[in-house]
Amino acid sequence: MRILALVTDAFGGSGGIAHYNRDLMTVLASIEDVEEIIIVPRIAFKSRVSTPPKIRQKFAGRNRFFYALQVLFCLLADGPFDVIFCGHLHLMPLAWILAKLLRKPLWLQLYGLESWDKPNFIRGPNVFDAALVTVISRYTRSRFLSWSDIKPEKVKVLPNAVSDRFQPGPKSLQLQERYGTRNKKVLLTVGRLEKEEKYKGQDRVIGLLPRLAEQYSNIVYMIVGDGNDRSRLEAMVDERGISSSVIFVGAVSDEELPDIYRLADVFVMPSTHEGFGFVFLEAAASGLPVLGGNRDGSVDALRAGRDGLLVDPDNPEELLNGMKQLLENGKPNSDAAAVFSFSNFRNHVQRLVTHLP
Amino acid sequence: MCGVAAIYAYHYASPEVSREELRVVRDSMEKRGPDGRGEWFSPDGRVAMGHRRLAIIDLSENGAQPMKNADENLIVSFNGEIYNYRELRSDLQKRGYVFKSHCDTEVLLHLYAEKGEAMVHDLRGMFAFVIWDNKKKALFMVRDPYGIKPLYYADDGWTLRAASQVKALLRSEKVSKIKEPAGIVGFFLTGSIPEPFTQYQEIRQLPAGSFLWVDETGPSLPKKYFSIAAIYSEAQKKGEKWDLDRLLEGIREALRESIRYHLVSDVPVGVFLSAGIDSSAILSLASEDKNDLHAVTLAFEEFEKDERNELPLARKTAAHYGVKHHTRVLSRLEFKKEMKQFTESMDQPSADGINTYFVSLAAKEMGLKVALSGLGGDELFGGYPSFKDVPNMVNALSLFSNIPFTGEAWKCLYSATDSFFNLPAPKFSGLLKYGGTYEGAYFLRRGIFMPWELSGILKNEFLREGLQRLKLQKRIRQTLSPDPKTPFGRVATLESSFYMRNQLLRDADWAGMAHSLEIRTPLADSELLRTLAPILTAVGSQNRKKLLADSVQNRLPDEVVKRKKTGFSVPVDQWLKEEASAGEWQKMPKLSKPQCHWSRRWVYTIYKRMIE
Repeated sequence: MRILALVTDAFGGSGGIAHYNRDLMTVLASIEDVEEIIIVPRIAFKSRVSTPPKIRQKFAGRNRFFYALQVLFCLLADGPFDVIFCGHLHLMPLAWILAKLLRKPLWLQLYGLESWDKPNFIRGPNVFDAALVTVISRYTRSRFLSWSDIKPEKVKVLPNAVSDRFQPGPKSLQLQERYGTRNKKVLLTVGRLEKEEKYKGQDRVIGLLPRLAEQYSNIVYMIVGDGNDRSRLEAMVDERGISSSVIFVGAVSDEELPDIYRLADVFVMPSTHEGFGFVFLEAAASGLPVLGGNRDGSVDALRAGRDGLLVDPDNPEELLNGMKQLLENGKPNSDAAAVFSFSNFRNHVQRLVTHLP
Repeated sequence: MCGVAAIYAYHYASPEVSREELRVVRDSMEKRGPDGRGEWFSPDGRVAMGHRRLAIIDLSENGAQPMKNADENLIVSFNGEIYNYRELRSDLQKRGYVFKSHCDTEVLLHLYAEKGEAMVHDLRGMFAFVIWDNKKKALFMVRDPYGIKPLYYADDGWTLRAASQVKALLRSEKVSKIKEPAGIVGFFLTGSIPEPFTQYQEIRQLPAGSFLWVDETGPSLPKKYFSIAAIYSEAQKKGEKWDLDRLLEGIREALRESIRYHLVSDVPVGVFLSAGIDSSAILSLASEDKNDLHAVTLAFEEFEKDERNELPLARKTAAHYGVKHHTRVLSRLEFKKEMKQFTESMDQPSADGINTYFVSLAAKEMGLKVALSGLGGDELFGGYPSFKDVPNMVNALSLFSNIPFTGEAWKCLYSATDSFFNLPAPKFSGLLKYGGTYEGAYFLRRGIFMPWELSGILKNEFLREGLQRLKLQKRIRQTLSPDPKTPFGRVATLESSFYMRNQLLRDADWAGMAHSLEIRTPLADSELLRTLAPILTAVGSQNRKKLLADSVQNRLPDEVVKRKKTGFSVPVDQWLKEEASAGEWQKMPKLSKPQCHWSRRWVYTIYKRMIE
């Protein structure tokens, strides 16, 4: 089986979607039936990136027009293909036309926000169809099915997998030193600080920090991640005069991230617009008690409350009590790492591939 | 007749099945099966099956469900009857299968072991069942050819839940209650919710004559194994000529066979008797095979001195065949008293079901568990006016359907004039838009509201989404594939695939079950259809209902044969007008016009009570 994958970004990209695509493509390539995967990314990278065996990643097209040309060129030069993989809803019109023309099965992958409401390019009835749609969470599936009339039986949930780099372990003295977290109770959030992603809920935690500090004088809140919303959050912290209890860590390298998780006592992300939230898995796999919002893909990452505490993110009292509860007697949960393991992920992908027409 | 429940946590991320959840879903169907309950949980906790039993064949504990085979690799939960189970059983015994019981459920287990999914072609009956195949780690879900027995499933992406009723699935806290616009718009347009939709987005009906696999990746697309259109299409190709005697003989034999199969039971069987030909013919043929038959007739106080009163003629027929006859007269007061219970029992919104609900109540009061109904006779023998109207309309109007915008122009003109003159029947506005094709003309004949009438009732966004997802015209057209070719075959296919399936049979299920009564329909039977379709297609323009009447050896009373068809009337119109508590419709200007048909008011009333 040869697969042509149209994606926004995969190898060399940053952020959740690129991360997921890398994992999925790597696992797909490890399946015996898959001969080769050609990836055409929409977002360009400065440097050449390395890819696992059986995967080739093309250069990105500069704009929509060149992207389509690049895909066509790829079809002529690298075809024929047996499956067209569409890695973003916005690439669907192109992918759908290709699949129709070539009469090959189309596999659409959906993550979160982008697929929750009917996109602008679909006016009137939705003509797009696919042989298989994989979605990152049940929440995204339900939102997608509320506007799309692709048959629900074709829409399958394929959640993130967590790498075994994330495991419980001793706190790094060097990092404790660097961030001054020794003998502190550490709350942690990991996520980009983008204005359009304000929903992650760091501001909700900051707002409750003074009240938490009444009970836990040694509390600190570590915010990992960077972006254009950082200044707003910093201003919030200054306003409340709690800058000594909030640590803006900024972006962290992949290598350092496992140790950052281990610095914390509790992971919190009371988000409202999470496609899935794979940072929950990383935190849980690192042995942290986890708190998430109860109205989006987080419910899946926390397995409906079995692997963490779900609260209404817009209810400050519930959130405060939740954080207190976990700080007091939050139990680490090891199930998440076993359930969302790469071996389960791979087996599921393999089964889905055999179902492709 | 029973209630089926199953939960399969198929996805690796899904938590194990909660036993409590299965029990809640199962026991909400107590009325479907008051005689027993059972459950089975897989050792790994990922599969749960439940069953409520109404014991009719092999009343012993041997018939209890869910039932396992000897090596416990197959587990079945089954609702319905396999009428040819005795033949299947002896055939399987010859192949070495050992039976522990005398009931049809066990046949399913061994037949599946022998043939896998191909087993569906051997089954004659009304059924919906779920088999857990432990070797495949898959659930096999099946529904009978006509869709007499229901089977619903809700898949959230991790776990699949299945049950015989929508309301049973709703009892699970884990099933989403988000509304499905296509289902609700479909209810307004047709008076019932077209399958596979329900009024909830997550809950789907397994289509009639289909099966479905659920493996570790979740449900696959339902696969169709039976098509009414294909049978009429084949029948037309045969083009046989029959002389009258052979014709009547053929009909009689096929009917006798079907009725004999439908009488298989270890408890007494009743017959719903009206003044019409279908139920009278069933009574006549059934009385040849069974001595202790009971006939039940429902009548209404309001019709007492009216030609719509079926009682005198039904009495005559029962006496004619020497059958014990029970009559039940329903008053407005009783209707009012029972109204709440009635809508609570209604599994999905329906514009009908009152008659079946109350005649079933009467049968239950007599202590019956099983009753035969003439349902399906009008579809099979072309008894509805639609068999004439639809082809006539298509012939007259097909020209317009080829001229673009004529339909829309007529619709606008009609609406403009309507506001001045108060024209009757709003369906006229759709005449040129729909009248020129079979699917359109059928919709006009059976439809309750026209799509453009709903803008005042449903929110615009919801309505638009609903219409787009429902694609009613396309859906109706698809049932006519392969093309049955003859006008009779086409209308028979449409009536059997829409009105009968989504309305009559669904109502017969929930309304019967509300009183723990199994309703059997010998005239809606896949084998009977296979035999009769070539005969009835070949007779051309002859009155097929008359042929049915003539084929019965012990002739029906003359008055029954000559009686003008009225349909089964219920004085809902009068009740709706007199009953202040059912007066929601009066606030809608469209519905308070004096010429408004009662079914529109009734649909709106049900909508207000069950959906909104």
